[in-house]
Amino acid sequence: MSTVRIKGTYAHLDALLTGIERFKQAGITGYTVLSPVPRHEILDIIYEGRPSPVRWWTLTGALAGLTIGLLLPSLTHAQWPMINPGGKPVVSLPPFFIIMFECTILFGGLFTLAGMIMHAGLPGFFMDKSLQDPRYSDDKFGIVFAGAPEQDVERITTVLEKSGAVEVTTGDDAIYEVPNA
Amino acid sequence: MEAEASIVRPSDYAQADRDILRVLFKPSAIYIVAVLLTATGCVYGLWSWWQQFTWGMGVDGMNQASFWGVYIVTFVFWIGIGHAGTLISAILFLVRSRWRTGVYRASEAMTVFAVLTAALFPVIHLGRVWQLYWFFPYPNQRSLWVNFKSPLMWDVFAISTYFTISVVFFYCGLLPDMAIVRDHSRGMVRRVYNLLCLGWRGTNRQWRHYMAAYGFFAAFATPLVLSVHSVVSWDFATANLAGWHSTIFPPYFVAGAIYSGCAMVITLLLPMTYIFGWKEYVNMWHFESLAKMCLLTSGILTYSYGMENFIAWYSQNPAEQAIFWWRATGPLAWAFYLAVFCNVITPLFLYIRKIRQNPVTLFIISLIINVGMWMERFNIVVSSTAHSLDPNMWRMYTPSAIEIGILIGSASWFLLQFLLFIKVMPGVAISEVKEMTPAPLKGSLEAS
Repeated sequence: MSTVRIKGTYAHLDALLTGIERFKQAGITGYTVLSPVPRHEILDIIYEGRPSPVRWWTLTGALAGLTIGLLLPSLTHAQWPMINPGGKPVVSLPPFFIIMFECTILFGGLFTLAGMIMHAGLPGFFMDKSLQDPRYSDDKFGIVFAGAPEQDVERITTVLEKSGAVEVTTGDDAIYEVPNA
Repeated sequence: MEAEASIVRPSDYAQADRDILRVLFKPSAIYIVAVLLTATGCVYGLWSWWQQFTWGMGVDGMNQASFWGVYIVTFVFWIGIGHAGTLISAILFLVRSRWRTGVYRASEAMTVFAVLTAALFPVIHLGRVWQLYWFFPYPNQRSLWVNFKSPLMWDVFAISTYFTISVVFFYCGLLPDMAIVRDHSRGMVRRVYNLLCLGWRGTNRQWRHYMAAYGFFAAFATPLVLSVHSVVSWDFATANLAGWHSTIFPPYFVAGAIYSGCAMVITLLLPMTYIFGWKEYVNMWHFESLAKMCLLTSGILTYSYGMENFIAWYSQNPAEQAIFWWRATGPLAWAFYLAVFCNVITPLFLYIRKIRQNPVTLFIISLIINVGMWMERFNIVVSSTAHSLDPNMWRMYTPSAIEIGILIGSASWFLLQFLLFIKVMPGVAISEVKEMTPAPLKGSLEAS
């Protein structure tokens, strides 16, 4: 089945939201919304309040860090039980709490970063060219179909135009060529 | 609120891009002079360090009693400077404070560069820098690991975690803005920024996970604001040395760190705002908020100064009483009184609105606070070791020219990093400024 690029560019947020809403009502999927700012209205319509799975990475990292922060000092000190500074117990939890705390934060943060990179599809160097449009980091919004089924082209362009897109392009016209890039 | 209302918001998203990106890449004459001056300071610092390599630690003023001199004082100073950045970027993000937007990027950059500068000092103090790897937790040839019960090892963990999380938080905040720089550039510069921003495009998927992760980074960074300087303070507080062995040290150090950090943000941002013409985005409302933070934390510091002296008297511990008496009347009394003047008396002027809202007076006060906070650490670190429990070990400490050279080099290095950053990355967070800008709305849509 051959596919076509379709791109609708919006100058106004409310028009963009209308466009997304109408695609949802029509049961049309496979589009990407581009925005220069994070707008909760956009995310609320698309994801309907479902939280990002990044939180599970955070939890896993924090628990892994906590465990490492406990095991690393405990096991290494237990390996040399005759070294006992200040008469403290060999495995002495109060000073190890600090290592546990720091490792929890460190691993939690690093896992969160890894989760974000993975779920956000970064690095995004090889995204479809229709998504690589500098206007969407400046002041415009976009709804982009990188590969819409050919038979849906008319339906999609109609929704884009009627929802208030200031420009609708298809095929190779949907690729924005940056001058002297 | 009156000042807040006076902020001129960009009329649209594109204007925010234009205004903030305008200062990138094109150095003015003042900028070039500043870079040359700071680079010269760095060379002087490197030369001083080279002298220490060549002749050994004997070129410093430290001795058997005063084993922690300017290096550890400056280490604590720079770690403290970083705190305001994390406070502004993380805590103010979580509480949705509106004045954060204009100043947080510069504050975060300041945090990263301050920690990078601070990290040099344990290495310099080590003397034999080629044995730097001894700091890190790894087993030696007898499988003997480092002592995790030592506060110095807690410090290694605290500072490396703080640095890592600060860099991650800083980098993530920069991703959308680096994409904006890319989209306004051409050729090789464009390709470099595309690599740096990991090909960011602002898709719904990217924003969704970015926003979730950013919140978690803020939540992780928040306890670090309190923990890092608490751990640094334990380097002192766990030692059985009069003047150091105190339970008030963690909150006292944290308040001091935020105090000096906010002052440093004022010192760096105030001139930049005028030089770069960013008054639409950073104005007196932001600086007044920072001044109020200084005022609050100086109150906590004043209380701590008073309380540690009171406890020395009330405890009836002769060693404690002796050291606090010596700090106020001994040969280092100038450092004590200078710290009190800068940290207790000077910030009181910030109660006067006219002084707080005047850029010149505010800038001067911020400089005085920076000096005062360095003197406070000098007073704590040096006096307790120079005048410790055993009178036979009383040795005066005077910083040598080499130590002062390295101190100048560190300040120059910090400023140079900041100056270079401000010309290659947006100094005000563009995507967050856009969030504050009313979204473009069409209003009534055509009926379909």
